[in-house]
Amino acid sequence: MRRLLTHPVLRFVLRRLAYSAVVLFGVLVAVFTLMHLVPGDPVRIALGTRYTPEAYAALRAASGLDEPLPTQFVHYVSAAVTGDLGVSFRNGDPVTVVLLERLPATVSLAAVGILIALAIALPAGILSALRAGRPSDALIRVASQFGVSVPDFWLGILLIAVFASTLGWLPTSGYRPLTEDPAGWLRHIVLPALTVGLVAAAILTRYVRSAVLEVAASGFVRTARSKGLPPRVVTVRHIVRNALVPVLTITGIQLATILSGVIVVEVVFAWPGLGRLVYHAVAARDYPVIQGAVLLIGALFLLVNLIVDVLYAVIDPRIRLS
Amino acid sequence: MRTRASAAGAGAALAPVALLMVLVVLVAGCSTGQRVSLGGDRAGYLIAAIAGEPDQLDPHKTTAYFSFEVLENVFDTLVAPDANLEMRPALAESWTVSPDQLTWTFRLRSGVTFHDGSPLTAEDVVYSYRRIIDERLATADRFSAVADVRAADARTVVIRVHRPTPNLLTNIGGYKGMAIVSRRNVESGQIATHPIGTGPFAFADRASGDSITLRANAAYWGGRPGVAGVVFRFIPEPSTALSALQAGEIDWTDSVPPQRVAQLRNDDSVRLAVTASNDYWYLALNNARRPWSDVRVRQAIAYAVDRDAIVQVTSYGTAEANQLAIPHGNPGFTDYHRYHRDLGTARELLAQAGVERAELDMLVTADYPETVTAAQVIADNLAPLGITVRIRTVDFATWLDEQNTGNFDMLMMGWLGNIDPDDFYYAQHHTNGTSNAQRFSDPQVDRLLDAGRVEMNHQARRRIYAEAATRIADQVSYVFLYNSAVIQAWSPALTGFESRRDGAVRFRTATLAHGSAP
Repeated sequence: MRRLLTHPVLRFVLRRLAYSAVVLFGVLVAVFTLMHLVPGDPVRIALGTRYTPEAYAALRAASGLDEPLPTQFVHYVSAAVTGDLGVSFRNGDPVTVVLLERLPATVSLAAVGILIALAIALPAGILSALRAGRPSDALIRVASQFGVSVPDFWLGILLIAVFASTLGWLPTSGYRPLTEDPAGWLRHIVLPALTVGLVAAAILTRYVRSAVLEVAASGFVRTARSKGLPPRVVTVRHIVRNALVPVLTITGIQLATILSGVIVVEVVFAWPGLGRLVYHAVAARDYPVIQGAVLLIGALFLLVNLIVDVLYAVIDPRIRLS
Repeated sequence: MRTRASAAGAGAALAPVALLMVLVVLVAGCSTGQRVSLGGDRAGYLIAAIAGEPDQLDPHKTTAYFSFEVLENVFDTLVAPDANLEMRPALAESWTVSPDQLTWTFRLRSGVTFHDGSPLTAEDVVYSYRRIIDERLATADRFSAVADVRAADARTVVIRVHRPTPNLLTNIGGYKGMAIVSRRNVESGQIATHPIGTGPFAFADRASGDSITLRANAAYWGGRPGVAGVVFRFIPEPSTALSALQAGEIDWTDSVPPQRVAQLRNDDSVRLAVTASNDYWYLALNNARRPWSDVRVRQAIAYAVDRDAIVQVTSYGTAEANQLAIPHGNPGFTDYHRYHRDLGTARELLAQAGVERAELDMLVTADYPETVTAAQVIADNLAPLGITVRIRTVDFATWLDEQNTGNFDMLMMGWLGNIDPDDFYYAQHHTNGTSNAQRFSDPQVDRLLDAGRVEMNHQARRRIYAEAATRIADQVSYVFLYNSAVIQAWSPALTGFESRRDGAVRFRTATLAHGSAP
């Protein structure tokens, strides 16, 4: 046990987790303050446009919003550390339940989307770099420029028009949980994940290309070649492996971004992810849901970063975890 | 050397692409392109796409239209509007009014049960109404005339009012927010997420962000529904909803892009209904600020606004321009068209008021995109008068704040779901009205609106409101713009559904022809 605790990777992870808690607290303070500074009154929104002053006062008191802000904050934080993130202003659902209901759809979309992105960007970027200046390179660069410029809602609507409306291969929209209906899950996720994945792939391809180009031009690659190593070995073991480090960073950022909600894709495909949840919570000034969602998204970001940092060390042993 | 290296690298790198393509083909192969997404236990369910997710399902507390689209099918009221918006028996099979007009006695239908099997009694009605009154819920103003609600026996409810109340039936039946709820359901805290009503469909399941499922209530007092259940899917993007309808994934939607209406009218694969509704959109000028406090300045604006252009840009011509709130074909309709577009008259009125130039802060919200679109037309309409419109676009939460504190020169908004003339005019135009954000005050309008509230004679009441509405438009409390349309589309396999002008979505009479979905 003692040896396990002193293992460098574990020590690194534990230290980072402690640091993450501090970051999350900072995020919470910022969100709490900002949300209450933004104009817009959750009680007024809940009541609509026709109500009496008595109804307003009653709901305000019931929501705890008539207390001073610091008191509200203390109440919130002391409950939050026990895992109680409060209840939604809009329907009284516990915020943890609301968030956990949306998490599987978001994680599914992010995972499949980033896999599609990598499946396209790695080969395309490597090919493009290895054939720099050739027609195939030009083609890939044009394609990735196109992918970066295409608005995701347009891409989504186009995919629906082709694969759902015209060909009838896939459903237009909706979501099935993986655990209940794996085939349905797969059918429903293809188009939204392609939309997310293609856009991410376009960005990633450019990073892969420039990383590979940079490594390919470095001294140790020339040494490896002059040693007479087979070209395939040089490409895979020397060039690609070293180029993966910066690619991993940008993949991590892309993944975290998709995890925090891809609202446009969620709207086009009626996907029940975190993005729409946060959007509607902000529109209704549903403070507990906004705060909980921001905490969750912050935690996801930190988790992805942590995994990326650990993977650095796996790819390149020269990188120390400290 | 270099060529060989790249070829080898590229070959290895292309493997994942090949894998991906195989995956796509496999997925496509195992799909049949039909509505297979629901399990076998959902066979015979009608699938309806609405544009958003209900915030909660407690009919007394929600104000969201999406909630009411679902709840319309789950709950009942004592009386309910028919297609012409006349109040008809629902949970109450009959009622009487005492000679002094102050006591209403409702006789409940016998044998009605809640979805959990418990019988409906007069106590449930009393509990529901007392909840709204005692907890001061948003709908409590519909009971402003009510002195007392009590159960005389298990099937008799007695409502005593302070003053004669001609619109009592509309107040308790015109809106599902006045539904009869189950006390046990409320007290268990379940009503917001698992509502129990007496309606034709019972709540079955909810998938957050995705759908709500209702199953048919075979014991419904009004007859068993024609479908096994209804799945309300939330599809916010209208073009996706339309694609889903055309692909046969859904049977019904009201998430229809208005720019596609003209094309859909000629499309045999889709049934389309564009129904003039009781909803109306208006401009309100801040009467507490100069120069809008001057009625001549407000009239000048009413003369300068091009309603037909606004109807075109906001609804692609599906709405109907109207200079009052109540639409053509409604019992309360009053013929009124004083304000044809006339810049000469508008300039003259401004000159009389001594206004040469003015800046106008117009408050609109992107949550209601029609207000943003219309604002551009209005800015263009008012420019020739020397009025510079500064369009201020905010989110709805901020909009409500600004409206409430009176921080605007002009705003545009709509009122939805009104039936009785008192709904249309009192709160908005009476000096003490709870929704009079524009601070309009006119003794004659106040007197007429107060009189209409207690006038039990149908004809006399109509005359009062015709006079009040005319005066309100003459004095420009609002610049009335148009009545929007309810736009709904459904599959030819769906029959028995009727599009209604109050926007109520009722699926009890709907039936689905099986196997005809494409």
